[in-house]
Amino acid sequence: MIAHQAEALVLRTWPVQEADQIVSLFTRDQGKLKGMAKSAARSRRRFGGALEPMTHVVAHYVEKPRQELVRLDSCEILSSPLSQPVDYRRAAALAFYAEVLEETLPDHDPQDSVFRLALTVLEHTRTDSIWLPVTYFALWMIRLMGWMPDIERCTLCGRPFGNESAWFLAGSDGLVCGDHSHPASRALSPQSLAIAGRFFRTPIAGLVSEDWPPNRAADLRRFAFQSLERHLERKLRSTQALKA
Amino acid sequence: MARLIEELRKLPGIGTKSAQRLAFHILRSNPEDAEALASAVREVKARLQLCSICNNITDVDPCLYCASPTRNQRLVCVVEEPTNIATVEKTRGYNGVYHVLHGTLSPLHGVGPEHLRTSTLLDRVTRGDIDEVILATSPTVEGEATAHYLADMLRSGGARISRIATGVPAGSDIEYADEVTMTRALEGRREM
Ligand SMILES: [Zn+2]
Ligand SMILES: [Zn+2]
Repeated sequence: MIAHQAEALVLRTWPVQEADQIVSLFTRDQGKLKGMAKSAARSRRRFGGALEPMTHVVAHYVEKPRQELVRLDSCEILSSPLSQPVDYRRAAALAFYAEVLEETLPDHDPQDSVFRLALTVLEHTRTDSIWLPVTYFALWMIRLMGWMPDIERCTLCGRPFGNESAWFLAGSDGLVCGDHSHPASRALSPQSLAIAGRFFRTPIAGLVSEDWPPNRAADLRRFAFQSLERHLERKLRSTQALKA
Repeated sequence: MARLIEELRKLPGIGTKSAQRLAFHILRSNPEDAEALASAVREVKARLQLCSICNNITDVDPCLYCASPTRNQRLVCVVEEPTNIATVEKTRGYNGVYHVLHGTLSPLHGVGPEHLRTSTLLDRVTRGDIDEVILATSPTVEGEATAHYLADMLRSGGARISRIATGVPAGSDIEYADEVTMTRALEGRREM
């Protein structure tokens, strides 16, 4: 038995039996893992509100030989999404981060850059600021997973997009020029391509002072959602609530 | 037998093993007991319905709270589930009526504002039938999002909108209160 104390983000919980819960944790040092929190529904003293999705915690858990689930003993809150007001959109953004992390990360594979990305977007996700952090997170996740196509030139002919739109299609890879687009393709405007470029050069703190209404870079967000869903080979449930 | 196990497995908290155990228990029980169980299941579906005013589960419509002449019909406590009513009733200090949402907003489960049962509550508030709405959803992310949504929806109706207090549980030790709980306890403090 090895006892651990690890910084982690709570991704999801599933009730088991009367009061136990299985908890999916994204730990900084050990990557994603699942733990059994015994009588979590009753033990406010050990867990309190710490098992709400996207709570940043220090988790105390014990790894047992030949067992898939760790034993989660307690969680101390470092920061909670409940410290700020929650409305439907903010709840949807939090659910989106948790769902994407849960679905994309393999178990026991530490990903410090993903962990840092999640912490920084969480910090900027407020009821009056949803669209920038959601779009930023989605695009960066695609990049960190190695799924980001070239945003400067056509995947098929190599022609630079310049001041023209790029085109993407739900079922296929990459961004293409107008000549190589399909009738069902959707456009990614030159403005949104430029925003994507800025996302990859600028920390989110450098972008928050700008106005991010729901329609700004909405095409980029749609592209990011589609890319995630295509690589995961499943629909993301939380994106329904984020279609502005 | 496989069909019975499959049906039992759909119940909350029942896994395959528990379903098998229950199915074998039913198989071994005498015919009267098995029939009593089956008829109780049938009757609960045939007799019970949702109250047309508050959505509580009831065998008479309106339910006993909505029909009560001694309860304050202008004070409404909004809860997530019918079982939450019993929790509020246990206090013996509440004499208003209820509204049951049958769930919360849940982006991860595809539950949006259009899925919440809110129309009769909105009607009552806009008609001016209500003085105060107490939002008693859980202090979780989904419960808070739901309370926030309801407050926005009902605000123009003229009723007072309040949220239940959250903070340090009675009988517990402040030492074990986490940062969020303690912050809320301080925010929700009252004059003594
Ligand atoms: Zn091309
Ligand atoms: Zn009623």
